[in-house]
Amino acid sequence: MKFIVESLTKNAPRLGALREIENRPNLVLETPMAMLYTRGGSIPHITNEVFKLLTQKSQIIQIPLVSTYNFEDVMSVYKGTIAEFVGMKECISCLTVQDPGDHTLPGYHVENSIPLWTRHGKVLISAKSYMNLVSLFKPDMYYLLSDGDTNISSPAKRIRKSVQNTIKYHKQCIDTHENLTGVKNSFMMGAIAGGYDLKARKECIDGICQNDSIGGYLIDGLHNNGPEVELLAADEINPVVVFVINNLQPTKLRAIHGCWNPVVILKLVQLGVDLFDTSYCYIVTERSCALTFTIDANGNDEKFELNLRQADFAEDFGPILPGCTCLACSKYSRAYIHYLVNVQELLGPVLLTIHNVHHYMRFFESIRQCIGNGTLSLLEEKVGNQFHSSKHVDQQDNVLASCERVDSADAFASAVLEMDRDNITASVSS
Amino acid sequence: MSSRHPLVFHVLAECKISKARVSKMILPHGEVDTPVFMPVGTQGTLKGLLTEQLDNLGVQIMLANTYHLGIKPGVEILKKAGGLHKFMNWNCALLTDSGGFQMVSLLKLAVITEKGVQFRSLNASKSEIVLTPEHSIEIQNVIGADIIMQLDDVVKTTSSDDKRIEEAMYRTTRWLDRCMQSHKRVEDQNIFPIVQGTLNTKLRSLSAKAHMKRDVRGFAIGGLSGGESKDEFWKMVNLSTDILPKNKPRYLMGVGFAIDLVVCTALGVDMYDCVFPTRTARFGCALVMTGQLNLKQKMYKTDLTPIDKDCDCSTCKTYTRSYLHHIATIHTVSCHLLTVHNVAFQLRLMRNIRESIKENKFVEFVQSFMVDLHPNKDYPNWVIDALQAVGIQLK
Repeated sequence: MKFIVESLTKNAPRLGALREIENRPNLVLETPMAMLYTRGGSIPHITNEVFKLLTQKSQIIQIPLVSTYNFEDVMSVYKGTIAEFVGMKECISCLTVQDPGDHTLPGYHVENSIPLWTRHGKVLISAKSYMNLVSLFKPDMYYLLSDGDTNISSPAKRIRKSVQNTIKYHKQCIDTHENLTGVKNSFMMGAIAGGYDLKARKECIDGICQNDSIGGYLIDGLHNNGPEVELLAADEINPVVVFVINNLQPTKLRAIHGCWNPVVILKLVQLGVDLFDTSYCYIVTERSCALTFTIDANGNDEKFELNLRQADFAEDFGPILPGCTCLACSKYSRAYIHYLVNVQELLGPVLLTIHNVHHYMRFFESIRQCIGNGTLSLLEEKVGNQFHSSKHVDQQDNVLASCERVDSADAFASAVLEMDRDNITASVSS
Repeated sequence: MSSRHPLVFHVLAECKISKARVSKMILPHGEVDTPVFMPVGTQGTLKGLLTEQLDNLGVQIMLANTYHLGIKPGVEILKKAGGLHKFMNWNCALLTDSGGFQMVSLLKLAVITEKGVQFRSLNASKSEIVLTPEHSIEIQNVIGADIIMQLDDVVKTTSSDDKRIEEAMYRTTRWLDRCMQSHKRVEDQNIFPIVQGTLNTKLRSLSAKAHMKRDVRGFAIGGLSGGESKDEFWKMVNLSTDILPKNKPRYLMGVGFAIDLVVCTALGVDMYDCVFPTRTARFGCALVMTGQLNLKQKMYKTDLTPIDKDCDCSTCKTYTRSYLHHIATIHTVSCHLLTVHNVAFQLRLMRNIRESIKENKFVEFVQSFMVDLHPNKDYPNWVIDALQAVGIQLK
């Protein structure tokens, strides 16, 4: 797999593509793009059957190790790749360490390992054990192990440690990569740590070997993942992103993960970031909301996002977003989805995810188009205005609702036990 | 479709030994091949599946629950939506129950009088609702299912209060007449009476015979599958199908275990519903011809085979037991995958039953099904007895 960028700019929006993908010679994945966020290997609420109804285009699925760590035993006997194992063989897979949709608990560092907070408790991952998992999962792309446990308020000591760790893991992983079979052709991406300290960022960039085997870089250590990332403003991260991009080779893919709001995404695209993920769609779905922000530089002024739980939609038989061609909008109504989320039926989040992911993918299509015809600033302005004008009580409530969620997977598990309100008619037979 | 016949029932083939038969039931929203298992979409959605997935599975008819839909979204919204078909984006046939079954499951909250059933709603408002036969039909007319159920007076199947059973049986017939009288959509909705009488042979016969005098196009056998012994259960089913006319469909309410479907089809039943296949899916269980797999068990951790190699559902084509083991009861996707498989399992079983009847091999089908399920031939006595009653000997 190769990343080919159209213009070797630094802090400017750019078009590029991942090409020459192993076993898929005709596939071209255009950037800027968002990888499809998964938990436990599946897009939340979406089975492979439904995924095919959502899109026919090839995509990258992002596989966070934190929710797939327990696949280790089976992957050591399974002959296929992680994408095949999770039932998404039509997708390209990308292994990431942490889960952008879920808050990563800070701290608990030990020498030579990073803590991974799995469902089964804390697991310490060293570069060696990480690379062993990489060789078992056989992803098409993966990030080298890094210590990204910093945020805007991290003390200097933690920042320094994260840089030292990241440099160390980077080297250890690369050394191992050379000796691994099966992942030689995987697209390898390094991580740049250093929090909001430009000196530390420089130290990290200088410390890791910028060699040809690295296809791209993750700007790590900006946040601790989870819904709160949505609240971070572009101004706060701007200096770090500008600085890091200026110090990276312009031929390399640049990635930033997390559930950023679309206004920040546009700002990051303006700065030259190529790769994101759809964890934002996940947190929006979990708060029963549908994305309706404009994705067209000439678009109408819809609301930024609809909270379908609200009573206003009880008798609204129109689609989530008029003109949207997704399955949820073409066949199902706001009223039905409102009803489903209010009675806690599983189909509610299924329909919301179909729309939200579809909308988000169209957003990125539009971003690429706007870069192509030079109208990205227009789109940025449009989305920005819409976002700020809808920053009324509703939107704040929506966002806060997301932040209050602790672990939706656990919430689901207990909901399974409670949601059964249908009549038990079967007596257990012998 | 002639406006006078919203249900046409053609018996296509009959087993030469047992009472099993294959038929085609033509309803306003499509044809249904019987014997049929109807998956239960209590709240106007089949547990996380898109109606596009139900089409892929070949679901021809599903069930929805009047009690739940009457509370939420409520009659006014369903009316404005133009009925449940439009509201939930489902173009095939629907059947609604009357809401009466909740009398048993929520008995502590309900008071039954000649007028109807008084419920206390389960939702936060705790509002009181009186469900009369007229009101049940009014809601069901708004929902707009192809087949609707009369409100019946349900007594616990295991009740020993003969006076109460008798009262409920007669009241059920009186309520049938009130239901039929208030039914406003006779041209496109079929009302089914429910044969009651719990485990009392005399009362059940009386109930069936009384309901046969009414102008209806099919019958439900109710008041069973409520904790009674299997010996009593099959005898009541057999008695009911002996009495009910052969040219109309017979619907056995609340039955859905594979073995029950096979036995009751031999006894002449055409329609079934049960929440079990979809409910057990949500707890990580997958149905197979030899029983069910609890995929949470450690033994499936590295099992790289599909749930059932002979199953052609999208889950078995794409996913291994091992993957399902890792996500079962943790991620909603596991519910969806197992629900798809379990519904596919039920439909495949019914398709195999229908084909065997058509090919005049139903007896062989039953024999081999039972051996698969009980390789040591330790068949339950009730199965041996029930099948013997219709001329089938197990090998």
